[in-house]
Amino acid sequence: MIHRILIANRGEIAVRVIRTCRRLGIETVLAASEADLDSLPARLADAVICLGGPRSPDSYLKVAAVIAAAKMGKADAIHPGYGFLSENRDLALASAAAGIIFIGPTEAQLDAVGDKLKARGHAVAAGLPVVPGGQAATLDEAQDLARSIGWPVLVKAVGGGGGRGMKLVEEPDRLVETLELAVAEAAAAFGDPRVYLERYVASGRHVEVQLLGDGHEVVHLGDRDCSIQRRYQKLVEEAPAPNLADGLRAEMHRAAVAFGRHLGYRGLGTVEFLVDCQRNSFYFLEMNARIQVEHPVTEAICGLDLVAEQIAVAEGRRLAMTQEQIRFSGHAIECRINAEDWTRDFRPSPGTVTVAEFPSGPGIRVDTHMQAGARVPPHYDSLLAKLIVHGTDRAAAIERMGKALALCRIDGVATNTAMHAGLMRAGPFLAGGVDTAYFPKFLSEGASHG
Amino acid sequence: MAEVKILDASIRDGNQSLWGATGLSTRQILEIAPVMNRVGFHALDFTSSTAMGVAVRTFREDPWERIRLARAAMPDTRLQLIGTGLRFISWESQHPDFMQLVYDRLVANGVTRFMVLEPTHDMPQALASARMIRKAGGEEIVGALTYTISAVHDDDFYADLAAQFAASPDIDRLYVKDPSGLLLPERARTLIPAIKARIGAMPLELHSHCTIGLAPLTYTIAAELGIEVMHVCCGPLANGSSLPNAVRLVANLRELGHRVDIDDRALARVADYFTRLAKAEGLPAGVPQDYDASFLRHQIAGGIMTTTRRQLAEVKLEHRFDEVVAEIGRVRAELGHPIMVTPFPQIVVSQALYNVIGTERYSNVADQTIRYVLGRFGRPTKPIDPDILDRILSRPRARELMNEGEPMSLADMRKRFAKGISDDEFLLRATMPAEEVDAMLAARPPRRHYNPDLRPVLKLLDELNKRPAVSDLIVEKPDFHLQLRA
Repeated sequence: MIHRILIANRGEIAVRVIRTCRRLGIETVLAASEADLDSLPARLADAVICLGGPRSPDSYLKVAAVIAAAKMGKADAIHPGYGFLSENRDLALASAAAGIIFIGPTEAQLDAVGDKLKARGHAVAAGLPVVPGGQAATLDEAQDLARSIGWPVLVKAVGGGGGRGMKLVEEPDRLVETLELAVAEAAAAFGDPRVYLERYVASGRHVEVQLLGDGHEVVHLGDRDCSIQRRYQKLVEEAPAPNLADGLRAEMHRAAVAFGRHLGYRGLGTVEFLVDCQRNSFYFLEMNARIQVEHPVTEAICGLDLVAEQIAVAEGRRLAMTQEQIRFSGHAIECRINAEDWTRDFRPSPGTVTVAEFPSGPGIRVDTHMQAGARVPPHYDSLLAKLIVHGTDRAAAIERMGKALALCRIDGVATNTAMHAGLMRAGPFLAGGVDTAYFPKFLSEGASHG
Repeated sequence: MAEVKILDASIRDGNQSLWGATGLSTRQILEIAPVMNRVGFHALDFTSSTAMGVAVRTFREDPWERIRLARAAMPDTRLQLIGTGLRFISWESQHPDFMQLVYDRLVANGVTRFMVLEPTHDMPQALASARMIRKAGGEEIVGALTYTISAVHDDDFYADLAAQFAASPDIDRLYVKDPSGLLLPERARTLIPAIKARIGAMPLELHSHCTIGLAPLTYTIAAELGIEVMHVCCGPLANGSSLPNAVRLVANLRELGHRVDIDDRALARVADYFTRLAKAEGLPAGVPQDYDASFLRHQIAGGIMTTTRRQLAEVKLEHRFDEVVAEIGRVRAELGHPIMVTPFPQIVVSQALYNVIGTERYSNVADQTIRYVLGRFGRPTKPIDPDILDRILSRPRARELMNEGEPMSLADMRKRFAKGISDDEFLLRATMPAEEVDAMLAARPPRRHYNPDLRPVLKLLDELNKRPAVSDLIVEKPDFHLQLRA
């Protein structure tokens, strides 16, 4: 049984993990950088150990420092949160070597899904549809492959993710130069020069299925729509995905579970799909082998504490529920409130928060590490808070979100709250089921919204 | 030194001893359940047929659902039910088939440890219950050696009982159950070795109440005598007429060089939770008790003593209290030395009272006393005084009660209720008034969370809600001013 967890993360997800640990009676040790030593999670945790300097490579990305902190803190498990080392095989291996439980999938599963090409191979083996594409050894092969896929194509870095290392090639003439650039960039950014080609889906929605596995059995906890994105960064997520044909939804659930079973998956994982709106079909994109930022919308509709489930599975327990016992109710939406000036091309806005007021009440949840006086360091992502609402249906949830946003007050740094408020009033969003191209359009058309 | 485990009885026995069994609702249990699961308790004394009835009556909560939810929240900790022979919720004796169904459902819902209790030490009955529990799938069945002080309850008596239990394949462990807190450390030094000498490797546990402050000391001695599991309570649910305090006991055992492998931090969290809950709900906290030498003689718990004194005062006979206390000892001996646990103190004390204030001893006899003499509560430990037996059985009322029918068969009982109801619902309907079960079923499912710290604010809002005339609310503290206007 786990008695003390080292949280190797920061911000709202560290607070989130601490909250569940408190409820379960598990002691928490926060591994924080110098910049976060007086953050809210640092004050909530039972103990804090400094990992190193403010820059992520000096602290949150340093496997040796995290393991040393876990040993020093006498933790019997490490919760990596999301981002940073959450899907890092080296951390999983080093944890095992130190006799510490890594709260996540096995090292082999991280390997299987961490590499996009391997993941794609596993998806094919599990019978999942994948976006037409593949790897090319030579430029000639690449041209042939692109022709068979059909123009335009995407060039993707194997080591990339979250929209990083991805390039669109509209016409054959640009393929060679883009490939060369992509390989060079991938080598520099990810330490892995491999790239591959994929069909570009003109109108696609990003829909993902939440999985929970115990290494023996895998269940899905429903789907989420994360199509509101800017440069592949999600801004709004909702569960369930709206206006999805029932047959398609059930197929995606089935496919995701098949993928999880194929891997004998253990822990929380998300299978991301690209829904091709024109063809009314879907393709496997990738699997995220960790808890997601947007997990609260799933918690809202299925009533489970996903962090508690992660811990239970990490303790070697079997799942406490069957697929039939998982019931979904209502609709949930999450808005990511970032310290960004959305009217100025989303320029990051670090600084000190002078006022942080959030709404509360039935169907409203706020996951945040912000309080008046909190500092937003320039070294990390700009997420300030996640505002999550739950309603009996989508319309009720949107209405509730509109009201909740109006009650948010964050001063001292610029935020995108007004942008979210505008989005909650925008016709296409209200109609539901927009594609990933919608949000940039909303921004360009709706500068007046702000 | 010894390796000692602790069993927490806060939710069942602590709650029953100090809060009249009505202190904890499902959500209040669920809130702390995951933490209790991590302490490393050997098991939790979780429920009883009384507690299940209270869930329905007081909280309008499904006691079966409470067990299921607690089981899910505490997958590593056995949940225990303390048995009541052939009774379930109501006072009537039930048909064995009915009791088998009770045990089947308890196991199916998540109770895996059972205390087999017959306060009269009616062994055939106790072993029959153990057999049913084993058949139902009970995993840890614990035979009770109910401790008392009397002419018949010597060390040999308990060693014999223990040997009979130990010979049964349906008994896994034994415990010395000292419901009145009478076990002196010096008696433990002879009693426990006498029992252990007759039970081989079978584990022995100790459950002694703090009624006159003996148990905390007796427990520390019991560890060296080979007691493997000690029954305790947490925070405000310990002491008083309840069990010893877990945190203090663990510290004491370690002080004496024994090992107790638990998560101390989680244990402190549990104690802190019950402390905050007691404060929020206005429930009394158990306090360490003064030693009372006279208690070893009359063995009447404080509550019954107080009631008796009040009853005497009502008929202006308060000056005869000492006479009643003396009579209690006499009646108890005549009735075969029943152990002074429910329902026997009520029977003995009411008879003593009748004997003192009546024209003649045994001129007035309550129905429960007649039923006791008829063996409805099991076979008395020692034969009842033959003169008294004749005297009671020759009453016309005794003949009426003698003809109270045998318990109804399960099949006949089922016919009384709608077809298609679940076994769990049937068992409640068969033992409780219909309107109470209906009210429970009509109630909303219980919430899963409880925060004692919110209680004062919720209370304030509740009270404001009852006072529509209040239009303004002002709260002032240093550096704080809150003003609400309608």
